[in-house]
Amino acid sequence: MWVFLLRAILQRLVLLVVISMIAFSIVHLAPGEPSEVDPANPRMKPEDIARIRAAFHLDEPLSVQYVYWLRDLATGELKSFKDSQPVLPKIWRRFLNSLPLFICATLIVWSLSFPTGIQAAIQRGSPFDRTTTFVAYAFISIPGFFLSYLAIQWVVDLFNVPIIGMRTFGMENAQPAFRWMDRLWHLVVPSVMSAIAGIAILSRYVRSQMLEVVRQDYVRTARAKGLPEESVIYRHALRNALLPFVTMFGFLLPGLIGGSVIFEQIFAWPGLGRLGYEAILARDFPVILTINFIAAALTLAGTLVSDILYAVVDPRIRLQ
Amino acid sequence: MNVKRALILTPLILLALLLQSYFWVPSYEKQSIGNPARLRTYIEGSIADAKILNPILNADGASSRITDFVFDGLLDMDENLNLRGRLATDWSITEKAYLLARPEITLPDGSPATGERLIEVLSRAQASGSLPALDGLLLSLRLLPAEERTETLTLVEPDEQGNPSPTPVAVTIRTPQRVEFTLSRVDQDFFTRLTPLLDAAYFQDFPYAAHITVADAALREKVQPRFPALLPVAEHNPIILFHLRQGVRFHDGHPFDAGDVKFTYEAIMNPRNISPRTSDYEPIKRIDILDPHTVQVTYKRLYSPAINAWTMGILPEHLLNAAAMEKEMTERGLSDAARASFGMRDSQFNRQPLGTGPFRFVEWQGDEFIHLRHNEGYWDRVPEYERYYFRVIPELLTQEVEFKSGAIDAYGVQPHQVARYKQEEAYQSFSSLGFGYSYIGYNHRNPLFADKRVRRALGMAINVDEIITYLLYGEGEQITGPYPRQTEWYNPMIQPLPYDPEGAQRLLEEVGWQRNSEGWLEKDGQVFEFNLITNNGNLIRANIMTIAQDAWKKIGIKCNTQVFEWAVFLQDFVNTGSFDAVVLGWSMGIDPDLYQIFHSSQAGPQQLNFVGYNSPEADELIVRIRQEYDHDQQRALAHRLHQVIADDQPYTFLYVGLATRVLDKKIVLVEREADGRERYEKIYPTKSGSIAFYFNKWRKLELTPDF
Repeated sequence: MWVFLLRAILQRLVLLVVISMIAFSIVHLAPGEPSEVDPANPRMKPEDIARIRAAFHLDEPLSVQYVYWLRDLATGELKSFKDSQPVLPKIWRRFLNSLPLFICATLIVWSLSFPTGIQAAIQRGSPFDRTTTFVAYAFISIPGFFLSYLAIQWVVDLFNVPIIGMRTFGMENAQPAFRWMDRLWHLVVPSVMSAIAGIAILSRYVRSQMLEVVRQDYVRTARAKGLPEESVIYRHALRNALLPFVTMFGFLLPGLIGGSVIFEQIFAWPGLGRLGYEAILARDFPVILTINFIAAALTLAGTLVSDILYAVVDPRIRLQ
Repeated sequence: MNVKRALILTPLILLALLLQSYFWVPSYEKQSIGNPARLRTYIEGSIADAKILNPILNADGASSRITDFVFDGLLDMDENLNLRGRLATDWSITEKAYLLARPEITLPDGSPATGERLIEVLSRAQASGSLPALDGLLLSLRLLPAEERTETLTLVEPDEQGNPSPTPVAVTIRTPQRVEFTLSRVDQDFFTRLTPLLDAAYFQDFPYAAHITVADAALREKVQPRFPALLPVAEHNPIILFHLRQGVRFHDGHPFDAGDVKFTYEAIMNPRNISPRTSDYEPIKRIDILDPHTVQVTYKRLYSPAINAWTMGILPEHLLNAAAMEKEMTERGLSDAARASFGMRDSQFNRQPLGTGPFRFVEWQGDEFIHLRHNEGYWDRVPEYERYYFRVIPELLTQEVEFKSGAIDAYGVQPHQVARYKQEEAYQSFSSLGFGYSYIGYNHRNPLFADKRVRRALGMAINVDEIITYLLYGEGEQITGPYPRQTEWYNPMIQPLPYDPEGAQRLLEEVGWQRNSEGWLEKDGQVFEFNLITNNGNLIRANIMTIAQDAWKKIGIKCNTQVFEWAVFLQDFVNTGSFDAVVLGWSMGIDPDLYQIFHSSQAGPQQLNFVGYNSPEADELIVRIRQEYDHDQQRALAHRLHQVIADDQPYTFLYVGLATRVLDKKIVLVEREADGRERYEKIYPTKSGSIAFYFNKWRKLELTPDF
């Protein structure tokens, strides 16, 4: 077990370095320069531009730039090109903004998908199953941003309340309960919107898992024993159907980073996804690379967590 | 069954918890009734967040929007786009001119041109009145001794990898004796006026070899082109004397004085701060503080637009000087490596700016909002609005939704939305001409476009009215030349090219283009065919391309169109000059200087005259305009230049966009009578169409007023 862990971690560290190198070269090979280096500005002379490039180390070979980046990242002194602010605190603040949205959306996805999927599997071919199938495929195929625009238009027209952003302006002096509920309200629409595709996909997945398990011999045995149907489904079948989902918890981690760029953009949510998106537009290399690095680290950690979880919940699997 | 119950109850409870929050949120109607402070709050929506709230470091529109509120410049533009004093109460412009003594040359009277001899000849000429052109212009003259100085220049040289990198080189300059002239006004023709005493040869072929030594001999050749600038035979030094406003205080109560002005200049020129504005201040030779409220700025050469740089905000020296920076570095516990490169760009000041402006900074939540509060101690009219919010909403559609629900008071309205708002009673709208224009530029290096009749014909084939009506929904006006329409530099007498496809056809026939059997124009077996390109992401430009393609097809010209990603577009086509024609736009400044865009010396790679326009007459006018300090003269020259460019048609000038601002009708201008009573007026624009000029008087009323 410990040997397995040690080996897995080492492997992933090496992989992380390789990923960061590849990401570094891709980002630098893409056309365009940081918006601070602006040859289209009629007032900037070639000397000025060369000076700015030198200050950002852009005139050094890529390998040297990579070392600078790694060094600054390790010492925590990495600065954004855009505003020269330290990158890590910047990412941390945005992460805290994204977190409630992520938690809320995840809760909605997981709590709604299971009952829907199970019900659809049990009543296979029923009107309920057909409706959920239709709705699920509709939600998978309609782009999320389009649905979001419709939802915004509808909510604002119907209820006349603000839903964009993290809070309503001008409520600084309201009672704390009102302020917190206002924040919660601003969470509702974006998290439901970003959950919709997730519910559609996950409930389909639950349904097919359930269908597969229900056909197994031990379920037939349970029924033959004369157990009540509820007990057969929720005790014997569901537990086995849940196994693959345990591993999916591991893959939730990287979703923290890139999960909601579109929704953060539409709902003016100052989160991590938008930080990354704006950084790409401004070619703010330190921010892009650091977010990418964290995403890669989280993905690798996620795969490790799911490997371990799988072994924990399924006694048939052993880590070696 | 517990499991089943839990599976069904959990989502229900979760959703109920989320949805009940709706009942706690104030709807818009309730908000404005129970919250009188909202009427004194102005919330502006913006697509982009600010980057860096420091007037000397920012280069983006969002940041300058905020720094314009927090900081004051020495000057700004008044309602007629002329300069007016802000932190400076008034200013005067004079000149000191210098002439090198050249003992190796003989004067017309046969004597060698030593310093002493020059003084003698010039004093005599002035005293006898033999040069009437100097009357009232030349105040005094004196002789300066010879001197030696060493300067460090920065050359851009390719390093081992071939990347351009800055290379310092030391240059020693031995200046001979000089005559210093004190002039009552700036006169670019001053030395020409001395012609009876000194002929043109005096100003040519100066023996630089004897006077300039380059430390690194290998680089001498590279520095050579700069010799005339390092040691000019005749030198103009315009001088601006600013009288500063007394009693102005920064938001923390610290008094503003001349030291802050000098500090701001030095901060821009400090290479550590990597300011994008160094080029604006590079013409300054030195700044002298004559007393705490008088600053004298001496310039290296004639460059009249340089004064516009003083509209930039003035920084508080006491918060950003070396001692303050040292303190910040210690507080943040930076490593030695970080300390070595620490400049103003790294300071926390840029996230909590402090100036002398009408609003003071309160809070900035990245990508969410910036909050300002009005400055009760402002030296000018204190803004009626108490709070100002700059809200970042990155989507155009959601901006509109927020505007309609009253959660923002203003945003950048799109042309297609304007028509909708105009039909609604609740809004007032104002259109003003923008400072940018769109054009189709032709590569003059391509023989196809060498003849100006061809460029004229291409322009005549395009119906600009159609573009304005259908692409801009009427939110634009046709232009005839390179200046913004609302400035005085724009020549209103010039007629736009007529839309006349037949006339275009005749012009092309004159040049020798004939329709072939397939209907394309042909000359010497060559079909008239070229590529028109533009950048990706601008729908209007892409549509202009299609309209032009269609219009040219009608007169027999084969045009292929293509769209490229911005970086590729610049790197591979525009900067290298390898294109036929482009659809692009310029965003212009307030000054009449067109040097970068139309002067023939600016046609190299990476330069802005990428179409390669080359007209000796325009070149001369461009240089004279940037050296002219007399406003009326400058206007006359600019009108002439506009005429020359309109005749040459280096571009097909298309239109200038109208920026339309839509506001709630409840927002009005508040005028205060002498007895303290308030009087409300409908918001009106200045002559140049700006409504923001009177922003400090704006306020929102509870009910819609009836004007």
